[in-house]
Amino acid sequence: MVRFLSVKALIGFTLVGLVVLVALFAPMFIPAERATQMVMTARLQPPSLSFPLGTDQLGRDLLARVMLGAQTSLLIAVSAVVISIVLGLPLGIISGYFGGRIDNVLMRVIDALLSFPVLLLALTISAVLGPNLQNTVIAIGVAFTPFLARIVRGEALRVVQMPYVEAARAAGTRDGAMIMRHILPNIMPALIVQATISLAFAVLAEAALSFLGLGTQPPMASWGLMIQASRQFLDIAPWTALVPGVALAITILGLNLLGDVLRDVLDPRSR
Amino acid sequence: MAYIVNRLLSVALTLFLISIITFSITNILPGDVAMMIMGTQSNPEALAALRQSLGLNDPVIVQYGRWIGGVLSGDWGVSLLFREPILPLIAQKMLASGLIVVMSMTIALCLAIPLGVWAARHRDRWQDTTSSTVALLGLSMPDFFIGIMLILLFAASLGWLPSSGFIDPTEDLIGAMRHALMPSLALGLGLMAHLTRMTRSSMMGILSQEFIRVARAKGLPERTVVWRYALPNAIGPVMTVAGLQIGYLFGSIIVIESLFSYTGMGWLTYQALLNRDIPLIQSTVFVIAAVVMLVNLIVDLLYRLIDPRIRLG
Repeated sequence: MVRFLSVKALIGFTLVGLVVLVALFAPMFIPAERATQMVMTARLQPPSLSFPLGTDQLGRDLLARVMLGAQTSLLIAVSAVVISIVLGLPLGIISGYFGGRIDNVLMRVIDALLSFPVLLLALTISAVLGPNLQNTVIAIGVAFTPFLARIVRGEALRVVQMPYVEAARAAGTRDGAMIMRHILPNIMPALIVQATISLAFAVLAEAALSFLGLGTQPPMASWGLMIQASRQFLDIAPWTALVPGVALAITILGLNLLGDVLRDVLDPRSR
Repeated sequence: MAYIVNRLLSVALTLFLISIITFSITNILPGDVAMMIMGTQSNPEALAALRQSLGLNDPVIVQYGRWIGGVLSGDWGVSLLFREPILPLIAQKMLASGLIVVMSMTIALCLAIPLGVWAARHRDRWQDTTSSTVALLGLSMPDFFIGIMLILLFAASLGWLPSSGFIDPTEDLIGAMRHALMPSLALGLGLMAHLTRMTRSSMMGILSQEFIRVARAKGLPERTVVWRYALPNAIGPVMTVAGLQIGYLFGSIIVIESLFSYTGMGWLTYQALLNRDIPLIQSTVFVIAAVVMLVNLIVDLLYRLIDPRIRLG
């Protein structure tokens, strides 16, 4: 198992590292025109020397677009997960730490929210706010919040019962200091694992939203949008779907592997 | 009995909260039903008159009361987009999606259970690694991308299956299943991943227990030990995860049904969202959340029925 774990870690770090590097550096090296420039004479070209991954229906270079898409994808996913943490962490900690009536009321609402499929919630919020880059982030972030709050609450409940918390309380530690010094650091491992897994799902959600036209909007380079555009030309130019699809799969696989490895290393309950 | 009563009360409360959440989300929408009926270029006076007659100037709580009263009495209003009463529309689409949900869950379980059991029996060997890899790949492929690959393979290249469309299952069940097969496969392959992992870890827990060692010691064939002794004891958590996946499934059908132009509940919800058909958005979102909650309730109750250890609760 140790050997398998380290192979997983290696592949996970490599894939995620690759995507992060592309997301960070592609915009510096690829001039924006390269991805938006339409060469009408070179529409739906199969992969060749001048276009290593082929071109799309408007004659745009797919390699450039898929590399710029990495930035869109990660930017949205990371921002959305940050939003869900900013909203969900306080809710979960308040609920788990103080317990009682507050916990009861909050968890009722969270339970009701959890009945809404995450994707449905994100799509509805995005449709309501009007689909664009910023609202896609908000929609995914808010849709993830109940789930995150639930996990944080569970962890807070576990930590509150620890002897060191009891000792600190006996020593007269106030609630605020207790949360900052004892509760928060001890739910961090679970939070990191959850954030990594959420990232994978956020990448997926962004692609799904954009695919349905309720996420990022053209002419932005987004993998979901690219797959959407490829549908009409599937039988004559399958690479237009394969290129963004494989990029998505690589990113999500990498994040899932990383999440698995972090869980094995950090989460005490999975040992 | 007290447990059942308690549980039912909690269901009623959750449904109430779901209705409030649904109503609140759609009420933040800029623009309202009157604007959507008459268009943005319409005469402001006519718009105001329509607003008045639709009751849009009433306090929000009155509007909510009117909506939920309608829902409870079976009057769900009329879709602005389809110009049809909403309740029969949803009932019909729910049936179509029900077929996909059942088929994809069946596909997922039929693949996941053998794969998970196989991995657990050969723990830490190549079989285990293979099964984990397949599960991880399934977890990492967006279902709409799997769907596109299936269209490429089965519709564009081989021509075996229709790439889009829907047939009413009450009229032609075989035809309906043929149309539902590719969407169900796309969803089922994604679902399979979680279920395989759950089956594997649950089976490994059971296989290391005393009674399994006893069964082996008394010379029962391995096949009997695994399938008759271990699996029934390991299946509970798998079923719970399958129940939780129903929620995930109802999110995914929005994407998959749109991809395959399969006119079920997911497609209907998507059309409502895309066209800002507020009454229809409220109804579809409410119904999906309610169904997800009820399915989880049923799974939970069944679990208690099957497993005597937690029957009293």
